[in-house]
Amino acid sequence: MATLRISALTMKLPNGQPLCSDLSFEVSAGEVLALTGPSGSGKSTILAWLTGTLHPAIRTTGKAYLDDQELTHLPTERRRLGLMLQQDYLFPHMTVGQNLLFGLPAGSKSERWKQVCKSLEAAGLNGLENRDPITLSGGQRARVSLLRTLLSNPEALLLDEPFSRLDSDRRSKIREFTWCSAATLPILLVTHDSSDIPSGARTVSLLEQIA
Amino acid sequence: MLLREPTRLLGGAVLLLFVTPLLAGLFGTVLPAFGLLPGLAETEGFTQLFNDSRFWPSVKLTLQTGLIATALVFLLTTLCLVCVQRTRIWRWVLASLPPLLAVPHAALAVGLLFLIAPSGWIARLFSPWLTDWDRPPTAWVVPDAEGVSLIIGLVVKEFPFLLLAAIAQLPSLHVDASLAIGRTLGYSPARCWSRLILPQLYSRIRFTLLIILAFNLSVVDMALLLGPGNPPTFAVFLMTLVSDPDSRAAASAGALTLALGVFIVFAGLFLIERLMSFWSQQRRANGHRGAGLKLFRAFGQWVISSVLLFSVFALIMLILWSVAWRWRFPSALPQQWSTAQWLTKSNTLFDPLLLTLCIASATALLAMIAAVIWLELERLQRVPKLNSVWFVPLLVPQVTLLFGWQAIALLLGIDGHWLTVVYSHWVYALPYVILILAIAWREHDPNWHHAANTLGGGYFRVLSKVHMPMLVKPLSQAAAVAVAVSVAQYLPTLLLGAGRYQTLAIELVTSFGGVDRRVIAALALLQSLVPLLAFLAALIVPWLVLKPRAALWQR
Repeated sequence: MATLRISALTMKLPNGQPLCSDLSFEVSAGEVLALTGPSGSGKSTILAWLTGTLHPAIRTTGKAYLDDQELTHLPTERRRLGLMLQQDYLFPHMTVGQNLLFGLPAGSKSERWKQVCKSLEAAGLNGLENRDPITLSGGQRARVSLLRTLLSNPEALLLDEPFSRLDSDRRSKIREFTWCSAATLPILLVTHDSSDIPSGARTVSLLEQIA
Repeated sequence: MLLREPTRLLGGAVLLLFVTPLLAGLFGTVLPAFGLLPGLAETEGFTQLFNDSRFWPSVKLTLQTGLIATALVFLLTTLCLVCVQRTRIWRWVLASLPPLLAVPHAALAVGLLFLIAPSGWIARLFSPWLTDWDRPPTAWVVPDAEGVSLIIGLVVKEFPFLLLAAIAQLPSLHVDASLAIGRTLGYSPARCWSRLILPQLYSRIRFTLLIILAFNLSVVDMALLLGPGNPPTFAVFLMTLVSDPDSRAAASAGALTLALGVFIVFAGLFLIERLMSFWSQQRRANGHRGAGLKLFRAFGQWVISSVLLFSVFALIMLILWSVAWRWRFPSALPQQWSTAQWLTKSNTLFDPLLLTLCIASATALLAMIAAVIWLELERLQRVPKLNSVWFVPLLVPQVTLLFGWQAIALLLGIDGHWLTVVYSHWVYALPYVILILAIAWREHDPNWHHAANTLGGGYFRVLSKVHMPMLVKPLSQAAAVAVAVSVAQYLPTLLLGAGRYQTLAIELVTSFGGVDRRVIAALALLQSLVPLLAFLAALIVPWLVLKPRAALWQR
């Protein structure tokens, strides 16, 4: 059970404008921490920094740890952080099953396929493995995208407004599905909508942080 | 009665003007090839063509140079995207693309010759301190018999073209997000590219790749400058046949064979695509994450930087040679500088310049008018989208179409007329102009028109005062591209101008080898400067037009 920790993070835009200053927090396994703030306050930028995909022009200091391992100097692919963005980004040249296989580690072909079918069944999506992602509804796509992330066995989950493009009915279902599916992981949720935050979750407001 | 809106009739006229030379080219090539054009070719030409001892060696050389150059262009583009995108070098790559695209093939070929020849700048740079050469070495020659120099020239010129086509597609492929998702799933950047982005990108740049392939297999001007003479490439061999009245039928038969050969190669490429697609689908989701391979990225960055530097230095060579007076081997820089050749050879330099400017301006103007008429009619839903028709001249070898046009022009007695030359340039400029303008035209919000109409603006007033000023940036870019295309046209000017129009392209290629290097460099430099200035104007004009309206300038 991992813990995600950020220590003394300071970020500045190329023009010198601060995005956050000396920000520190910790998210334990099974816990959800919500990063809130208005658009442009730097919420997504923090996730990009955590995953190592931040634009080099943004100046940063600070460190991130997964348990005791420092992440900051590791390449993105070795950080073991699962990422879900506002759009689901299901790869259009792969079927639903291939999208999920893409998330799974290498191994026996039949075993991996069984695992894909099993996870689809558990998510109530059985029979969709050979479908083109474009034929799925928004809610189905969101679930497949989360499954793909979880099948790669991440140690923590980063969510960048993953529910914002869904209608209110699907939104609450997908939220529940997400909290249940990733119940054992530390989850860092970026949102500007307070209804996305599960009850009992801690909140860090970037606006207050800068003020 | 005044025209209130463009009518279908106008669209029909544009299409007819465009399609007529294509059909004429087809008939004018097919008929003489089979000996069916009395007065020009009265016996079939295939027997003479196949019995010519130069036929097979030239076919072999063409396949060798054309296929290797195209494969290298594709590999370099891929390498550039995988290894250079999102690095510090990327903005230098982006900055170098417009000037490299603007420089005509022949001018770049001359610059490359000054760089890679035994007496070229690279040999001078390392002599005599490292090589002990105090005379140009004899270890290699340029042009070489294997066509290596030609391959280098084609790669250096065509790589920026394919790269630009690929870069234009990246935003719609959500490259940054796909890379972020792929890498957080544990995949190396190279694997993310090969499994997520390239399979989607390839289908979008396939058409540009086919244009490059057709060009590389049929190029004449660059092959005359950088290709071997014996055997020459197939297109150059056909040029020797067409200038001999007894071989006209064989030349036409060869032009048809070339077109057929290009389409067979296209079919081969589709087959390779299928195999690659099947193979990559098997591997795409096997879960192997791949290694980071920092060394591979560093190698890729080195290769791309070298190729681009090579092109830039080729252009610098043109500048140096055009102002050199004494420049003996092995000096890396001229021993004496002079602008004398610019003054004493002003007739050789500035008469072709003036003619080139006149033809290019007329071509650009006519291509812009035709493209705007067609796209407006398309917007008004009075004509269909005809993307595939506009690109026919780019996919069929120039030799094939132009031999036919020349034959028909000869029969009609219109060869050697300046309008015929402009017409031929127009046919090659229009596809690019339509391609550039179509994107902006189709994305333009029709509500601007509706809003202006409700304010009482008539059709032409809205078009000239609202629509076109809003699209001044793509309009300027399209005009600059039309100028660049026209300035580079060697074969249409030569064949349809009946040798009467000494444009910069014609003067450069025909005087190469027989005229002073310094004058050749000056000609090549002038030929490069015209499109470069056109692109500079394409940056300045929108700024001047839209200066008071900053929001539009940002678009």
